[in-house]
Amino acid sequence: MSRRNSSIFILLISFILFFVSTELFGNEKFIDTAAVLSSSGESSLKLPDFYMVLPFFILLLMIATGPLFYRHFWERHYPKISILLGLIIVIYYIFFLKDTGSLVHTLAEYISFIALLSSLFVASGGILIKVDRKATPMLNVIVLLFGAVIANIIGTTGASMLLIRPFIKINKDRIKPYHIIFFIFIVSNIGGALTPIGDPPLFLGFLRGVEFFWFIQHVWYIWLPTILAVAGFFFIIDSRNEESAEKVSRIYSNQIEFKGFRNIIYLMIIVISVFIDPAVISWVPNLHPLPIGLREIIMFSMVYISYKTSDKASLKANEFDFEPIKEVAFLFVGIFATMIPALQLIAYEAKINGKDLTPGIFYWATGLLSAFLDNAPTYLNFLAAEMGKFDLDINHKIEVLKFEIEHPVYLTAISVAAVFFGAMTYIGNGPNFMVKSISERAGIKMPTFFGFLIKYSIPILLPIFFFIWLIFFYGEV
Amino acid sequence: MNNLNEIIEKNIHGLYYGSRVLLPFSAVILKAVIESDIITDFSSHSKDALVTLTEDYTEIYFLEYKDIEESIKQFENIKLVLVEKGKDIFDFQNHEKIALYLEENHKLRIEKINDDILFIE
Repeated sequence: MSRRNSSIFILLISFILFFVSTELFGNEKFIDTAAVLSSSGESSLKLPDFYMVLPFFILLLMIATGPLFYRHFWERHYPKISILLGLIIVIYYIFFLKDTGSLVHTLAEYISFIALLSSLFVASGGILIKVDRKATPMLNVIVLLFGAVIANIIGTTGASMLLIRPFIKINKDRIKPYHIIFFIFIVSNIGGALTPIGDPPLFLGFLRGVEFFWFIQHVWYIWLPTILAVAGFFFIIDSRNEESAEKVSRIYSNQIEFKGFRNIIYLMIIVISVFIDPAVISWVPNLHPLPIGLREIIMFSMVYISYKTSDKASLKANEFDFEPIKEVAFLFVGIFATMIPALQLIAYEAKINGKDLTPGIFYWATGLLSAFLDNAPTYLNFLAAEMGKFDLDINHKIEVLKFEIEHPVYLTAISVAAVFFGAMTYIGNGPNFMVKSISERAGIKMPTFFGFLIKYSIPILLPIFFFIWLIFFYGEV
Repeated sequence: MNNLNEIIEKNIHGLYYGSRVLLPFSAVILKAVIESDIITDFSSHSKDALVTLTEDYTEIYFLEYKDIEESIKQFENIKLVLVEKGKDIFDFQNHEKIALYLEENHKLRIEKINDDILFIE
């Protein structure tokens, strides 16, 4: 059995073990973390021991240090490491906490996450955009701003997959790692803060009852200056790189070539399928107890159909391969599983200390955790904690509606933080890793985990995020 | 001995076995990209690749890969920047970018990289 097959085998065994155990111990009501900790303030299930966050920190540490210090060991064994660390938590929850509800809920979120990412990845992999124009800082800024806008229509993942290759092609004679980093900042993260389609945390908020257009109404005045500030930084840095572009003597046709209109239709189907959820449309069947819905079935079908019907020449030109999505799938199966205890403990702490927490604290807490954890469940837990502060329950849509009307600054704080801070690390948001992987295959030496953080995120993003806090959330109660 | 252009015109294949790649011409390798690995160290101490040049062919061992066939899939390739033996290595005009595709029976299809495929030198 090959390494790849053995990893898939372990993954399948894990799922089977998990489902068998759900049947054996599945007497607990289907409860998710937010629900457990929001309604009454008392947890109906036992909280995990603090040391159970260790697998999560080990995994994060290995993701950070593996490519740096033991690259080839990591490249060979990361699927097994991720799954085994995840299994520790699965076994702990099944046999010690006897809480399968949290596991089922996390599995459902993971499947939704992978369904959306993989379908957007495959559908956009068959689209070939060729832009034969001279790269200038202004043209690059326009592409990044365009990406930020369409991220709200096809998601940050769709926008990233669609634009990363053309963006590299435009700059192929002058490309530097900072081009890719700013692409991750703007297109893969910050851009998608205006609609629930843009980024998964906002979508979870939408499913809980936040109105679709609430985000654009309450976030645009933060989104716009942030995007312009980051793009401004990029423009300054890229302008210094203009000399190297001038040395390249090429004749440009200024033509834009587009192949793969069929895949655009697939992308539209995927985006529309986001709304095919029993929580949004009443006639959509709920497939519970299966951890999958009609939406995920449509998305996985689009993966198959897109791959089978995409233009082979476009796939070849894009060097299409499942490796980037496989990497995300294996790493995030471990991340999703191991972060369950961390998120439950955070939610509990937020709940018991909620009365003293201000929008500013929620902003920083949601943001800093979203940089290293998955931002979707982080967002949901802090939404539950915020609502708990005002004796509102996240499980009732009418109360979510009341919360968004009466306490918009709280919802704005966590919405902005969850999306924006995802840009801080490679693991902050799903598309970050994919963009990194595509860039490396194109021959671009990308910074390490710490290099990304120290050279780019902290000096560029953190001051901007600090000013957002100072202007919009400091002093708010 | 054929040069690169003749090899592409005549559709002459290279070969691959396990971690070993054989190019049917002699060239100095400057950069290789296999999967996400970007290799620029081709010294005798390199942990990534070992290159041997003869009059008729170039041999590359990708040391971190037991079997490259397991890693390189249908639409994927190995990318190389190289300079044919005898040409001025310092003249960028002589830097050739090629893509290697794995085919059945250990055949290695060699193509020059066109504008469609991303490869940054």
